[in-house]
Parts: sequence; C-alpha cells; structure tokens
Amino acid sequence: MNGTNDSSAVQVGGVIIEARDLVLSFGETPALQGACVSVKRGEVLAVMGPSGSGKSTLLHCLAGILVPDSGEVYFDGQRLDTMREAERSRLRRDRFGFVFQFGQLVPELTAEENVALPLLLGGARREEALHGARAWFERLELDGLERHRTGEMSGGQAQRVALARGLVAKPDVLFADEPTGSLDSLTGELVMSLLTRTAREEGTTVVLVTHEPRVAAYADREVIVRDGKVTLVEGALR
Amino acid sequence: MALLGLLDREPSHGYDLKRDYDAYFGRGRPLPFGQVYATLARLARDGKTIAGEAEPGAGPDRKRYTITEMGRSEVEAWLGEPIPPEPYLQTELFVKVVLCLMLGRPADKYLDAQRAAHLRRMRELTDIKQQGKLVDALLADHGLFHLEADLRWIDLTAARLAALAEEVAS
Amino acid sequence: MIRLGLRLTLGSGREAALRVLVTAAAVALGVGMLLACLAGANGLHAQTDRGAWLDTSAQAVAPTSTSGRLWWLTSTDEFTNQEIDRVDIAASGPNAPVPPGIPHLPGPGEYYASPALTTLLRSEPANELRDRFPGRQIGTIGAAALPSPNSLIIVIGHTARQLSQAPGAVEVGAIQRTPASCYACQNTTGSGPVLQFILAGGAVALLLPVLILIATASRLSAARREERFAAMRLVGATPRQISAVSAVEATVAAVAGVAAGFALFFVFRPLLYHVPFTGAPFAQGDLSLQWIDIALAVIGVPVAAVVSARLALRRVQISPLGVSRRASSRPPRIVRIIPLLAGIAVLAYFDVVGKPGSNGSQILELLVGFVLLIVGLVLAGPWFTTAGSRLMVKRADRPATLIAGRRLLDNPKAAFRFISGLVIALFVASAMIGALSSIAAATSSSSGGSAGRDTLSDLFCSFYMSNCPASAEVSSVPGQVLDELRSTPGVRAVTVVHQNPTFRQLGTSFGVVACDQLAKTPAIGKCAPGATEASIGYFLSNLLGHNSNASSTVWPSAHLSAAQAARLPVDAVVVATNGSSGALERARTTLERAFPFQGAPVAVDALDPSTARLLTMIQYMTDVIIVASLIIAACSLAVTIAAGLGERKRPFSLLRLTGVPTSLLHRVVALESALPLFLVAAVSIVVGLVSAALYLHSQVDIAFSIPGIAYWATVFGGLAASLAIITATFPILDRMTGPEVARNE
Repeated sequence: MNGTNDSSAVQVGGVIIEARDLVLSFGETPALQGACVSVKRGEVLAVMGPSGSGKSTLLHCLAGILVPDSGEVYFDGQRLDTMREAERSRLRRDRFGFVFQFGQLVPELTAEENVALPLLLGGARREEALHGARAWFERLELDGLERHRTGEMSGGQAQRVALARGLVAKPDVLFADEPTGSLDSLTGELVMSLLTRTAREEGTTVVLVTHEPRVAAYADREVIVRDGKVTLVEGALR
Repeated sequence: MALLGLLDREPSHGYDLKRDYDAYFGRGRPLPFGQVYATLARLARDGKTIAGEAEPGAGPDRKRYTITEMGRSEVEAWLGEPIPPEPYLQTELFVKVVLCLMLGRPADKYLDAQRAAHLRRMRELTDIKQQGKLVDALLADHGLFHLEADLRWIDLTAARLAALAEEVAS
Repeated sequence: MIRLGLRLTLGSGREAALRVLVTAAAVALGVGMLLACLAGANGLHAQTDRGAWLDTSAQAVAPTSTSGRLWWLTSTDEFTNQEIDRVDIAASGPNAPVPPGIPHLPGPGEYYASPALTTLLRSEPANELRDRFPGRQIGTIGAAALPSPNSLIIVIGHTARQLSQAPGAVEVGAIQRTPASCYACQNTTGSGPVLQFILAGGAVALLLPVLILIATASRLSAARREERFAAMRLVGATPRQISAVSAVEATVAAVAGVAAGFALFFVFRPLLYHVPFTGAPFAQGDLSLQWIDIALAVIGVPVAAVVSARLALRRVQISPLGVSRRASSRPPRIVRIIPLLAGIAVLAYFDVVGKPGSNGSQILELLVGFVLLIVGLVLAGPWFTTAGSRLMVKRADRPATLIAGRRLLDNPKAAFRFISGLVIALFVASAMIGALSSIAAATSSSSGGSAGRDTLSDLFCSFYMSNCPASAEVSSVPGQVLDELRSTPGVRAVTVVHQNPTFRQLGTSFGVVACDQLAKTPAIGKCAPGATEASIGYFLSNLLGHNSNASSTVWPSAHLSAAQAARLPVDAVVVATNGSSGALERARTTLERAFPFQGAPVAVDALDPSTARLLTMIQYMTDVIIVASLIIAACSLAVTIAAGLGERKRPFSLLRLTGVPTSLLHRVVALESALPLFLVAAVSIVVGLVSAALYLHSQVDIAFSIPGIAYWATVFGGLAASLAIITATFPILDRMTGPEVARNE
C-alpha cells in the first residue's frame, strides 16, 4: 500500500468496472476483438500496448463514450453499453472524470469556469460551482491561475486544470488517456504524481492508458492490449 | 549455463561447443578452452551431463558430452525464470531469447514475464521517488531510465521474433 | 445553461464573434428581403384597391331604385405605348354616385383627367391627343383614385341619352369599391393567377437561398466550435444541453439580424419606390407593413435561423470525441434526386392532363411544382457532385485532378453548398426568362416585322357583338374623315372593311374589303390574284396563343361588286402608317373624334390590354427577382469562400510543407470549384428551361423557344465571374497556408 497517507486507507475492494468480450470495428477496421478486463475499486490500473492496439478504444468503451458492437460493460453493477445517450452523459458528468492528452478544455472559458463545468452542467448555480472549483487550484499548485484563459496556459498547467475538472465532481472513476503525452518529462512526472496522489486521497479508481512504462509505473498493476485483446500479466498488487 | 543449453540441442564435443558458443555468444571475446573444459567437467560431476567414451582421433579429450535429464530440466528452469532486473543485463537477456528460439521454446511468453518483472521493479522505484528524499529520487530515476531502456528493447525484440527465429534456425 | 450559452457566444474571442456577425448579416439580408416582398405585396394591394372603381361596369349589379343611377362605359385608349383608362359617365337621375377622386360628376362637355394625363394634354399637340376627348377639362382626379401616380385616367361627362346609346354602356347603381375579380377587368393589378404565382414563386426563390446562406454562415469556423462542444460532451453534457447552447448562439445572431434587417428595410425603402416592380410605380406610403407582416418577420425568420443552425450542428451532438475522429459521412444516395424528378413530373402531368380548372388549384399546382424543383435542386446537388467527381477520379491522370476529385468525394455537401445560391438563381432566371422569351416570340407578329405595329385598326360595333344596338352601327365613313386621314403626314393608306352580308347566315367570315384598298394595307392580308373584293377574316387575333398570320393570309374572293360592298355597313377602318408616333396618334385622334363610343383604334398586332398589362408586369417583376437572386448568390458565394479558406488552411499548409507547389494547390481549388459549379449549373439551366416549356404548354398553350443571346451572355458571365472571384482568392490562400501556419496543436 502507498505508505504516505495511512489515514486515507484506500480499500482496494470489489470490481467496479467489468468488460466482457468487447468487439468494436470502425468501418472495416477492427479495433477491439474480444477484450475483457476487470477494474477493482480504488486501484490505479495502467492499460498499455503499442499504438493501434485499441487501448484508447477500450477506455472509451469503459467510460461509455463509445458503444461496442457486441459484448458487455458493467459499471457498479449497471449495464453501461445498453444505456441511452442521455443517461451515459449524466454518468460521465456525475460519476466519471476525464483527463485526455489534449483538446478537452473549452479554450474560451477561464480555468475556473472549465473546472466548474461539470457542476454547472449538473445544475449547480454559478457561484456554488465556481466555489467548488476554486478549492482545487491550490491543491494542484495552480494558485493565481483561476481567471486565466486555458488557451493561454502552458501544457502542464492546462493538464492540471483538466485534472481538477476531472476530480471536481468527486467521481468514482478517473479515466486518463495519455495524460502526459504532450508534456516534457519533468512536467509529466509532476502531473502523474499529482494525479495518483489526489486520486488515492479521494479514493478514486483510475484507469490510465499509456504506452510509456515510466507513466505506467505510477499504477498498481498493468494490463497489455494487443490487437484488440487484453493480456493479463500477473503483476503484484501493492 | 549457456554451454549446458547448447548441449541440450545435441551431444557435442568440447571443441564444437566452444566453436558454437563463440559464434553465437562470443561477441569478439572467444571463450578460453580451459574454461570450456573446466565447465564441462563440473557439469559432468554434478550429473547434468554424461561424458561419453573418448574417441580415437587427433587431440586429447575428444570426449563427447550428452545432456542428462537433470541437465535438461535445469536448462528448462533457467530459461523459464526471469532474471532479477539489474542494469547491463542485456547479455543474459539476449542469450535467453536466442536459446529459446533455437530450442523452439515460446520466447514471447518469456519476454512478457520479463516485462512484468521490470514493471514491478519500476513501481517500487516510483514509490521510492514519491516518498523519499530528493537524493533517493535521483537514484531511483536513474534506475527507472535504464529499466525503461530495457523495456524498449524487449518491445522491439518481441516485434521481431518471427524473423529472428528464421535466422537462428538456418 | 442560457447564461453559459451567452458567455460562450459573446465572450469567446474573434472567430466566434465573426461567425455571429456574419450570421446576423445573413439574417438581416433575409429579413430585409422578406419585408420588401411583403411591402411590395401590400403595395400591389393598395394599387388594386385604389383602382377598383375602374371596374364598376364589369361586375355591375343592376340599379334597384330610381335615384342613384349612373351610366358607365369604360374603355382603353393608348398614346405612344402608354395606356389611358377612359371612363364615360352620365348621371341618369338625382343623387348619382360619384367616383372617387372627383368632387362631383362632370357634366356633358366636361372631363376630369389624372395629373399625369393633364401634363400630356398640355404638352402634346392637340391633334394627337386632346382632340380625342369631347369638352374641356374642369379639374384633376385626386390621388385616392389613382392606382399609380403615373396613371393616365380620364372621366368624361355626357348626357344620359347620349351615353345610353353607346355600345357597351351599362347602367349601374353603385361604384365598385373593392377589387373585382374577372379576367377582362381593367384593373388586374394584383389579381390574376399568373401574377400571384409569380409573387409566391419569387418569394420562395428568394428566401430559400437566404436560408441556405444563413445555414452556411452559421457553419463558419465550425471545426473550432465542434471541438468546444465535444469537450463539453466529454464532460457529460447531454445532447439537449448542447442544443440549448447552440440555440442561444443562433438566437443572438437571429435577434441581431432581425433588428438590422428592419433597419435595412426602412433605410432602403425610399429607394424601393423607384424600383419598377410592375411597371407602375407605387404611390408614397404604398410600401407599408402590416402587423402580421412584422410578426412574421420577427418570429418566422429567427425560428428559421435557429432551425437551420440546429440542423448544421447535428453531427457534433453525437460524438464526444469530436474532430479527432471524423469518419467520412455517407455519400449522397440516389434517392436525393427524387424531389427534382417529382417536380418535373408534376409539371409534365399537368401538361398531359390539362390544367386544373380553378385558379386556386392552378396556383397550387405551379407552386408545388416550383417548390419541388427548387428544393429538389438543392437536395440533388450533392448527388450530381458525387457522380461527377467519381468520373473525375476514374479518369484522373494528373495529381491535381485526383486530389480535387477525392476531396469532392469526401465531402460533396460542403462543395455544393457554396454554389447553391447561384444554382437557384440560375434556375429561376432560366425558368422566367425562358417563359418570357417564348411568350414574346409567340406574340410578336409573324407578319414580317413592323407592319403590324404600324397599322391601326378601328373596329366598330356590329350586330353580332353583344351590347350593340342597331343604331350604333356605322353605315358609312364620311368622305371628310377619309380625306383627313389620307392627308395626315405619315399615313400611307386607308382601307374600309364592310360587313360581310353572308355573315348573318353563315358566320363564316368577318367582312369584305376592296382589293385595291387591301393592297395598300398589307398588314391585314392579301387578295387572291385577280379578285376585286375579298372576304376577310378576323385579323386582330394576337391574343396569347394565337399567332397572327393575317399578313400572310390570302383571303378568298368575295362575290360582290365594289358598289354593292360600299352600301354595306362598316365593320372597321384600317390605317397604314409609316410608324411615326405623330402619324399614329393623329390617326387615332381623327378616328376617335369621328366615331365616338366605338372604342379606340389599336395596332393590328396588339395584345388585348389586360394581357399586355400582365406581360409588362411579369417582365418587370422577373427582372427584380433575378437581380435579387444574383445578389443573394453573390453573398452566398462570398461567405462560403471565406468558410472554404478556413477549412483548407490546415490540409493545404501540410501539403505545402511536403513540397507540393502552390500552382498545384491552385489547380485543385479551381477544379474543386469548377466541377460542381458547371455540372449543377447545367442541370439547373436545363431544369429551368424544361419547366418553363412545360408550364407554358400546359397553361397557355405556347410553344417553347430558346432564349436569346442576352440570357446566355448573362449565364456565362455569371459563371465566369464566380470562377474569377475564386481565382482572386488564390493570393489569400497562399498567404494563409504558408509554412508558419502549420504548427502542432
């Protein structure tokens, strides 16, 4: 177990996400060919594999962004792939958080507005939402950047804003797809260390897609995706 | 160990073994004859090989060595287990992969296991980085980068296994 | 949600502000045009209302009481190609109703004239105009009675006894206050099925391109907006929330546009008064808006703008992954050409089956066909583009052709969008000009040019016409009149046509004429060689659909002697002139003075007045609609070129980085634009001409004739101008795709 914060004893418990036999093709190109994976509550899972293996597609299916052609996805006991688009949107807003490589923030809004966006979409009043958002800025070493436009920030700052947005609604699962892909090594380390630390503090499960071993090293265990299938290699749990 | 593995392929004379070892694994540093014969003798004493009758012909010690069951299972065990990830391991890694291919063993499974072991070690080092002092973090980072380099090599080799197997077989 | 939407719309930086501005401008254009159309329709109604009184005798109700009765006779006169409405009235009892615009009825020997006519009466020689009208002018007709400030109207007073003998005079009990509906009415402004069709069709032809323009404008820098919406969708915005945000943006643009459109309309309205919509200018205050018009513009256009912006955004609401994963949309299927074929089928059906009975269903048929055709062209455009580009790719042997073809295949809808305005303008122009030029060709006299125009014919009433008491027949032409006519400078010959005696029994022909006279007025036919008297048929037959062949007809010989013929009553006097307006008008005046109440002399190849009026109106309206269409097409082209530049920036700059020369890129852009332009333009021209042919044949039985050189020059000029504009943007494209532009995100 992570030795720093014993007080926040994170229970790695039952399965929170389960995917069985996922098959998905984009037109003629097959992306997933019978992928299966289980994600345990509270763990940080790294999904690795060469480019084109389908790992991002797998993440999109687990998060309810894409619906597989066949197979099942369960989140917290509910079938995810048969839900209507509106329900899945609500799930994304209330129970999931996202940190992608780029293109996920609204460049015209300020940082605090971006972080507050999930709360605003959930119906919170403006002041309430901004108040909840501002709490994250210090925690992620972003003091003073609340009013800045995200389009004017450095990559590392923008990713931390995205991280704040991903965590502001206290989600059950944080989905990260190559979160450090466009960052240099030092900034990447900072982002990864903040990501895993805050996730563990909040008890959030993390599904992390990456092809870099040093990023995957922040996780509790890894699975490998090859040619649309998932290979489980027994890595020791912490 | 490499010599034992070569014996697993077929019974050979010491001379043949040294020739093969130099060809495949020597890398410009041929094995001294003395070392070869000493190793062979020790292996025979341990019961992993059997020395056959000396054959008539030129040169002393033209004994023919054959691998035993015990020897074979030791090669098996050695090939199956991953090495503790220390730096500059390429030689042993490399040897294992080539032998796997020669003996028709599943080299990709071995590489997977090695990768998992490397990642486990990287996780440990990352933990150290996150909680320890900066000096410790620097050392951990050094290890991490080398481990990453190994992993890159493992990925590349895994992608080339089919071609490698062909070349080794000929 | 709304606040978020407003924040995103207004506070989002330059690109978004530009998009809102351009959309608002497009909406303003649409609103302005809509208001102009509505005001024009209101103006036409106002004109029709003011002229209603001219048709008092057309739907006359017989007077019931002994007081309040009036004798009424309307006729149409002409002066140098301008129409004069002539009303002869006489009170037949006390309290006779008074027409609007005059204080009291003119007595015998008095008349009122409209201001425009008054000016002419004073300025023109008396023997050309003023001498026609018996009496003196005692005042001018007020504006309330004039359909148009330029109307030429005269109200002449008589005694009841005089007027009651006039052929065609009717006794009425009241003045017509509301517009009468009858084809032969004097006052057909605004009524009549063809005119209404033109109005409705013109409105559709103008508004549909404006809607497309609005949709195009709201797609400017769509990629950036798609990214933003995708980010929101990722975070969990439901499709409905996204719709709300985009609806806010569309509404802001629409509201701004409506306000600007109203401003545009009020600013340009004074100019509109000078635009000859129908040939008869509007009086001040005619181009007004009613409350329902304003409501329509204020509610209808924003709703249309929001809907079209919504439709433009449909694709992004589906995917939270946004632009990073843009799969090619499906190619347009062949079902898209169904509405186009259906439109042609509708018109063809009615051509074969015959036009529907009532005016209402005629309009409906035409409108349905027209709308189907326009909508069909817009829907089928991408399909034609795809078909053409497939061919292009298959036969491409040079890289520019291949690239252009593939890009067109990838997104045919976008490629077609930029020329959609032009395509509709071409269709409308082809249909209208095709129809008009055929009508003009059909109605122009085939009698060898101008002879028909230069020959006047004064038709007298005869027993076989209704409303012709025996006392009104003309027994002979006084020699004095003949002398006066023959001595008028410019008059070449005078022919007198007598009643055909056999007509009473057989109804075979119209009159008899002496061959030596006929020889000098060849416009109405020729005698058989050797004949002395000819039996002549009806030669004033230039109504729509009847080609006047009078001048080439050889009339059969009549078995009468000249002396016998001379004793018969007179049917008509025909005067051949040299075509000068002086000669024509003096001849007219002489005839009208000599034979009052016998109607006005008309040119042998003249159309009947209501048809002539209608044609003039259609001609003017067509010009206005075509000009407006072309303006919209030009705006549409500009907007889509701007959008195209933005959309080409990334791919083209990447291509340039890999070493592709700019000349190749220019060729690609030229080919990408030219293929859909020429292909679909050809389709729309053919469809336009075919639909004109079908309509003419089914409705008015006129053969189609290819329009003249002016039309083709306009079409090719328009196409060439479009290509020139595109070529002119090449330097901008070069600058925008320079290597410094293609940075990584």
